[in-house]
Amino acid sequence: MKQLIELDINNRVYEVAVDARDLLLDVIRKKVGLTGTKKGCGEGDCGACTVLIDGKPELACIKLAIACQGKKITTIEGLIQEGGALHPIQQAFVDYGAVQCGFCTPGMILSAKGLLDRNPHPTEYDIKHELSGNICRCTGYKKIIEAVEAAAQVWSKEGVK
Amino acid sequence: MFLNHFEYFAPKAPEETLELVGRLGSKAKILAGGTDLMVVMKAKAISPEYLIDINGVEEFKGIFCEEGKGAVIGTNTKLAEIQFSEAIKAKYPALAYAAGEVGSSQVRHMASLGGNTCNASPAAETPTPLVAMGAKVAVSSLSGDRELPLEEFILGVRKLDLAEGEMLTKFILPEPAQKSACRYAYMGRRDAMEIDCVNMAVNIELANDSETVMEVKLVMGSVYPRPLVSREVPALLIGQKLSDELIEKAAEAAQGEAKPIDDIRASAEYRREIVKVLARRLLKEAYAAAKGV
Ligand SMILES: Cc1cc2nc3c(=O)[nH]c(=O)nc-3n(C[C@H](O)[C@H](O)[C@H](O)COP(=O)(O)OP(=O)(O)OC[C@H]3O[C@@H](n4cnc5c(N)ncnc54)[C@H](O)[C@@H]3O)c2cc1C
Ligand code: FES
Ligand code: FES
Repeated sequence: MKQLIELDINNRVYEVAVDARDLLLDVIRKKVGLTGTKKGCGEGDCGACTVLIDGKPELACIKLAIACQGKKITTIEGLIQEGGALHPIQQAFVDYGAVQCGFCTPGMILSAKGLLDRNPHPTEYDIKHELSGNICRCTGYKKIIEAVEAAAQVWSKEGVK
Repeated sequence: MFLNHFEYFAPKAPEETLELVGRLGSKAKILAGGTDLMVVMKAKAISPEYLIDINGVEEFKGIFCEEGKGAVIGTNTKLAEIQFSEAIKAKYPALAYAAGEVGSSQVRHMASLGGNTCNASPAAETPTPLVAMGAKVAVSSLSGDRELPLEEFILGVRKLDLAEGEMLTKFILPEPAQKSACRYAYMGRRDAMEIDCVNMAVNIELANDSETVMEVKLVMGSVYPRPLVSREVPALLIGQKLSDELIEKAAEAAQGEAKPIDDIRASAEYRREIVKVLARRLLKEAYAAAKGV
């Protein structure tokens, strides 16, 4: 039985008809039409489906959409800045060559945002530890870590949101 | 990978939750973080008819830590909150550390302390240090609450001392004794996202001389169907001042008690070796920390 629920995604409220068993990932991609959030393993292992829920990184592939009513969901599309500019973490990923095929990138960047919002001065260990749930099969991670370190610098200087 | 159909309930208060748990019985499952439940439901390993989502119940969340009075942790407190809690890091560092080593950042922001225990996996991270610290759990139903030691609550693989109509509501941690320390360690193939092949916690309490062992509890995970509390280590060490030889003997005793199995993560033989390595290391670390060096 479908029911109408409201989901706040990137500060816009979407009314969607869902079944209790519908997963947040499928609703975001297929019903809302935001395809930046990726589907990898579907089992919680790879981090491609990472979104922020009330600012914290969570896995949309093992989250019920119906359980997200009243919460603030942020997907990669929500990081866009005024005038369409890239978010500083996105810019750092571009500058440091931390994107190859790009499949892991939305999840990586949202995990990095979750980390930097909580801890704007992470050590290399903090970055590795808190990003360990995002798997990249292309880059070898070095450039990703450098990009997050660089974004943290900008963060401290400019106090980005 | 669709889930089978179920009916979804999102109670807002403890009584409402207990009423649902009582009425729906074994056809229902409690949904906390869902990091275990959603995965097994997607694999169609189980197909509950009802889900009771407890995330809307504030009373099931939170860390209540008072000077000199131990701590109470609500069942649905997220592991990330425990990992980063200044109060838990100061008073129960082994628990904060274990919570921070579960899965990944995303998993820790979703997963609850109660879910880690109720999933009753022998490889679970947090039950090991909680048992070593002497934690108790509160189990509630419409007819009231009961408290029991965590080590009696977990009976075996996916088995709990939980009757129909009951749910876990909180963890009760005793105040750490003066001159005591608890330490946790684990071994897996890689640090992140890896289910442990062995984990262990050691809690040591010293006498007034800061050298003689008064109490010691060594708990092993992943080497038995439930957290295994060593009987031989206290028999060897209580009343003694620890030396390298004595620690070696105790580590060998723990190794003898472990009953690991072969599985995809490690062989029984390897696990037994690791038990000795971790026991030696943790006994040394906890002893030094309890002495205050
Ligand atoms: C990618 C990944 C990596 C993981 N890595 C680790 C790891 O390294 N170490 C580790 O220990 N675990 C790991 N896990 C397992 C899991 O994350 C933990 O066991 C977690 O603590 C479960 O908590 P939850 O709140 O998500 O439980 P849920 O999935 O919501 O519930 C688990 C079970 O407990 C029951 N339950 C929950 N709360 C209660 C309650 N209050 N009363 C009665 N029954 C209840 C549920 O009905 C269900 O059967 C991992 C999982 C994933 C997906
Ligand atoms: S798709 Fe969600 S973790 Fe892999
Ligand atoms: S850039 Fe291809 S998976 Fe990371």
